[in-house]
Amino acid sequence: MANVFNRSSTLLRKLLAVILLAVVLMIVDNLTPWFKPAYSAADNLVRPLYWIANIPLRVQEWSANSVTPRSEIESDNLRLTKESLIYHGQLQRMSDLAAENMRLRRLLNATELLQDSVLVTEVIGVSANPLRHTLTIDRGTTDGVFVGQPLLDAEGLMGQIIDVHKGHSTALLITDSSHALPVQVLRNGLRSIAEGGADYNRLNLKFVSPTADIQEGDKLVSSGLGGLYPAGYPVGTVLSIVRKPGDNFLEIDIDPSAEIDRSRHLLLLYTSRDSSADAVE
Amino acid sequence: MESDNRGIAVCLTLILAVVLSLMPLSGDWIVWKPNFLLLTVMAWIMRWPNGLGIIFAASVGLLADLLLRSSPGHSMIVFALCAGALSLVSRWAKYLSMLQRTMLMALIITLVAVLEASIFMAYGRPSGIEHLPMKILLSMLAWPFIDLLIARSQPRRG
Repeated sequence: MANVFNRSSTLLRKLLAVILLAVVLMIVDNLTPWFKPAYSAADNLVRPLYWIANIPLRVQEWSANSVTPRSEIESDNLRLTKESLIYHGQLQRMSDLAAENMRLRRLLNATELLQDSVLVTEVIGVSANPLRHTLTIDRGTTDGVFVGQPLLDAEGLMGQIIDVHKGHSTALLITDSSHALPVQVLRNGLRSIAEGGADYNRLNLKFVSPTADIQEGDKLVSSGLGGLYPAGYPVGTVLSIVRKPGDNFLEIDIDPSAEIDRSRHLLLLYTSRDSSADAVE
Repeated sequence: MESDNRGIAVCLTLILAVVLSLMPLSGDWIVWKPNFLLLTVMAWIMRWPNGLGIIFAASVGLLADLLLRSSPGHSMIVFALCAGALSLVSRWAKYLSMLQRTMLMALIITLVAVLEASIFMAYGRPSGIEHLPMKILLSMLAWPFIDLLIARSQPRRG
């Protein structure tokens, strides 16, 4: 009987010591950057495992491509050629509109819009922690990736780079609970902040007054305020608006434009502002 | 010698658990994915209670925090609490049937997850508690495979 009590008290002592150590580690991590090298080392260690973890997905893609009938590939090819033609036509019209826009902005004495260039990248890993929305991409310092660089997919803004290594980088997604993004309503320019939560398919709009002109279906784009994300990139669509009596602000749910949990090929954005900053450095 | 073999088996099963944790999923499957590292640690503690305990679980938890980019100490506490609860019942846990072990594992994971979620909610952070039932159910489905794998990894006596 005495043995059982001794065992229990030893267990309790060990458990208390571990909890105490863990609390100290959490406090140290919150207050200092001391764990950054440890995270970097862990990132490098885990990179080969990402490759192994992606094997089922690659096999699935390969088998899907292999069993696609020739007729389907030919029809896809035809459709893509037609789409390419349409987009080229629209692009010609766009360049005409862009030139006209620039002329008008000069007339109004406004600053010129920044020209952005992109670099294609592939997702090589996603965070295994469901409450931390990050992903790892296959571009690093050798490709000129930098901390704070915006990341987008074909549909809209995905997030920003938070950690860069030689051959890979980590990006924080806009749906992460610690992320906030300045946005504006495309219809009327109403400004707000889009914050992430626990869900990969939702954003919440903060600090919108109950009298504000916003409605379900409104498109949101980045406002460019804060200087991190350039203006005008799609962020999401207003899904629902809840007005609670007594609350100072509306509760607004946003459906992100980007396919946050599905996109595999992404774009790293280089604005001309980044290039000029590099040139100065 | 037996302990060396076990050590290698522990390392290999933990690497497998990390690979399973890193496997990309989409939609709700991301939040429903079982915590393979925790399940592997629990299975090892159940099978080898005299060799592995709270310190082992806490070390793997700290490693998980670094690898999975959560705040260092967070998984450490979760893993240590699960290991502590398991250590209390470890003397007779290895004699339980598969179904009973599965229920025991589900009970411990639920208790610790509820505690974890309440700490998150107290800090006003998203807890993901709404996904807990599905996560527990999938953990229960994954458990027999992990338990069998660990049982097979044990060096045979005789």
